[in-house]
Amino acid sequence: MMKARNLGIPQEISKHFSFIKMLVIYLLICGAGVSLLLASFDGLIRNNNKKLTGDVCRLVTEKMNNSIGRISGSAENMAALLSAQDHYDLQELYEILSQDSVGSEYVSIGFIDADDHIYASSSELGEFEKWGLLDIARLADPVSISAPYRSGKTGQPVFTMFVDYTYGGGKQGYLFLTYPLKEIQKMAYTESLTGDAEIWLMEADSDNIIQCAGPNRYALGMWDNALIAIRKPIDAKYQKAYEDWKNRMNAGEESAGVTYKIHGETYTQVYSKINFMHGWYVVVRIPDSALSSAIQQFRTSVSIFLGILLIATAVMFVVFHRREAKEKKVLENLSIRDPLTSALNRRAFDFTVDQYLGYLGKTLKNEAALLFMDVDYFKRVNDRFGHEAGDRILTGFSAALKEVFGDEGYISRYGGDEFVVLVRNGDQEQVSRKLELLQKKAAQIRPCDKEEECGDFVLTFSCGAALYPKDADNLNSLKERADDALYIVKENGRNGFGWYRKEKATL
Amino acid sequence: MKRITAFLASVLLCFSLSGCSGNGKEEQNPASTPGFEPLNQVEEGRKNIYLIVKNLDSSYWKVIIDGARDGGEFFDCNVYCSGTYVETDWQEQKRLLDDALAAGADAVLLAPDDSVMLSEKIDEIYQKGIPIVLLDTIANTDSYDVCYMTDNLMAGQRAAQEMLSQLKQSGVADSDSIQIGLQLGAASSQTISERLAGFFKYWSKNAPESWEIISDIKCNDGYLDKAVECAEELLEYPNLRGVFGTNNSSTRGFARVVREQERTDIVVVGFDYSDDIATLINDEAYRASTILQKQYYMSYSGVETALKLISGEEMPVKFVDMGVIVVNKDTIQQAEVQETLIHN
Repeated sequence: MMKARNLGIPQEISKHFSFIKMLVIYLLICGAGVSLLLASFDGLIRNNNKKLTGDVCRLVTEKMNNSIGRISGSAENMAALLSAQDHYDLQELYEILSQDSVGSEYVSIGFIDADDHIYASSSELGEFEKWGLLDIARLADPVSISAPYRSGKTGQPVFTMFVDYTYGGGKQGYLFLTYPLKEIQKMAYTESLTGDAEIWLMEADSDNIIQCAGPNRYALGMWDNALIAIRKPIDAKYQKAYEDWKNRMNAGEESAGVTYKIHGETYTQVYSKINFMHGWYVVVRIPDSALSSAIQQFRTSVSIFLGILLIATAVMFVVFHRREAKEKKVLENLSIRDPLTSALNRRAFDFTVDQYLGYLGKTLKNEAALLFMDVDYFKRVNDRFGHEAGDRILTGFSAALKEVFGDEGYISRYGGDEFVVLVRNGDQEQVSRKLELLQKKAAQIRPCDKEEECGDFVLTFSCGAALYPKDADNLNSLKERADDALYIVKENGRNGFGWYRKEKATL
Repeated sequence: MKRITAFLASVLLCFSLSGCSGNGKEEQNPASTPGFEPLNQVEEGRKNIYLIVKNLDSSYWKVIIDGARDGGEFFDCNVYCSGTYVETDWQEQKRLLDDALAAGADAVLLAPDDSVMLSEKIDEIYQKGIPIVLLDTIANTDSYDVCYMTDNLMAGQRAAQEMLSQLKQSGVADSDSIQIGLQLGAASSQTISERLAGFFKYWSKNAPESWEIISDIKCNDGYLDKAVECAEELLEYPNLRGVFGTNNSSTRGFARVVREQERTDIVVVGFDYSDDIATLINDEAYRASTILQKQYYMSYSGVETALKLISGEEMPVKFVDMGVIVVNKDTIQQAEVQETLIHN
């Protein structure tokens, strides 16, 4: 109500203001809701990732162990078959089988007899010495697997599997089969995680690692050391967790996992013991983002959708509000304005002024003046110049009222040639000066287009005025007082204004 | 007399290695890749072998070029050579391979700048039936005839073996609690990684339990200044008795600081031959060793093998580890060491 009094139509302002307020509140609530939704979504992703990466790491290690088990199983079958055949001439057997190895998944095959004589090619004999393969063979129970090394025969990284078997009437020997490391890499290959999952074989004692899968194609099959390749880049805060994880491996635990961060990215890393490969473990590391990328895409889509929905709703609200406001204004104008002069009609004036005076009454603010006006001899104007000229006089007079009283007054065409104005914050002296100004402006209003047609016509008006709350404390009484004053002005010959006096209105 | 000969040889070698003894990394020459130049007198009717190296400015690769030149002379063939100035410029090597084929190469000796990116081109040449011998670095393909290189995993193991041997000779008991400091060149280099892995492999199986490797492994990124700083930091460890440098810059950094601080109690084991490590090896007060590759023989044998392949011989192996030699005050007089030093 406080702001409304400055603009004349209080309800309109209130509604506009409350709409903006409502829109802001709506946007705030929706924004908070969306933020809350996304935050809980993120929390869900984080928790899920931790669990999933751990599970996936374990699955990959199991997959590798199963695959190694399959290879060792076929090697054991071959050893069992050879044992059953009970060969006596191992050199002959070696020559036959090494010829047959072409096209097999292994690179080469050979034997070690009970006297540690090795049946192999000359380059392989060098590798036995270089890599201490005889010591690995002695660990076979019933199988043992060497660490990967570069084969002279193929130039590629390989590993050799040893299986114990019997020959020559119960002598104990070893069959060995050399496979390309690619076989293990194939086992480690996980299509859905290509480029994300890193898989190493790791030797617990030395911390040495050999990469079987990972985004760096140059590192595949190559040796490295975990202290540099894995541990060094880990954020200082997680070094202890890594150390604990490594200690569990050193202590011979079957499997363990650790979560750490490198430059803000979270990784989960799990190791698992490799069957038959003594002292070696398969280590799988996956960044959390690898599993959440699909969910992250969904999250982004949902965020965009919610954002668009929110903006679209807000735009729709504004458009509807503007259209409604426009329609309301048209309807309002039709219901509260005089169609000829655009001044308030009688009903709107009475309602607005009544509210205003009520507000003044509560706040005991400035006084107000009510002016009751009649255009002098308006009927004669109609008779002499026609109705159009009459309308022009009324329109012109209404415009002059707006010009003089502006935003300070509620202006109303009360009927015919009667106008009523309530001047806000006006004292008698100020209002009298404005009425004198109005008289001058009225005199300039012409009923005709051409000056010669108007002749000696000069527009005058009569006005009776009363003050609130001095003369009356409500609209009806105020109108009566002003009307009394107008009556006296008319009695005195019109063309003037007078203020209500208790005894009698005076000029 | 032997001492005077050894001294003169080491002075000559230090002089010949001055190309890589500046502070920091060897400078990269921005010059564009040159065309092939004959390394020996070109004679009609001889086979034409094309050699492509990684860095024409490097002393290491100059030894390889020398080996190819001598191989060409000895085995009677024409040898042409070109290469890049930056060891990652595989695109230029790809262009040089095309040039070699266009010039009618009977065989190619290649030290690939990129083991992955050049694989396709190597496949292509191999499929055309042109013998291709790789030197120093293996490619990520099976389509080549033979590769002569150093097995760096073995070289790292040899370094660990030398460290243990020297520590024991210096009187360190198995029960003593001592520490060993390690320093790398570029952490991402495959050569360095394999040397490091080899060192750990041998150490974990053979070193006494109380001989500990300091987990703070230093990395100098190939800069000598940084190598000196890293060495100074490691030498502050109270129980430090040995240091291992996995490449030339690390070894020089250690050698320089050990000598400056007169730490005769520290065993230095490194790679490559430089004036810094040579000075330490030749000073009786210190215990220093360095591991040398036999790159001269990579190209020398490469030329011999290429000619055999051209004549239709098949190679029994695809990978030949050229091995390394250990240079210390006990071995420096040995003929094999002296011969390798001449070709370094």
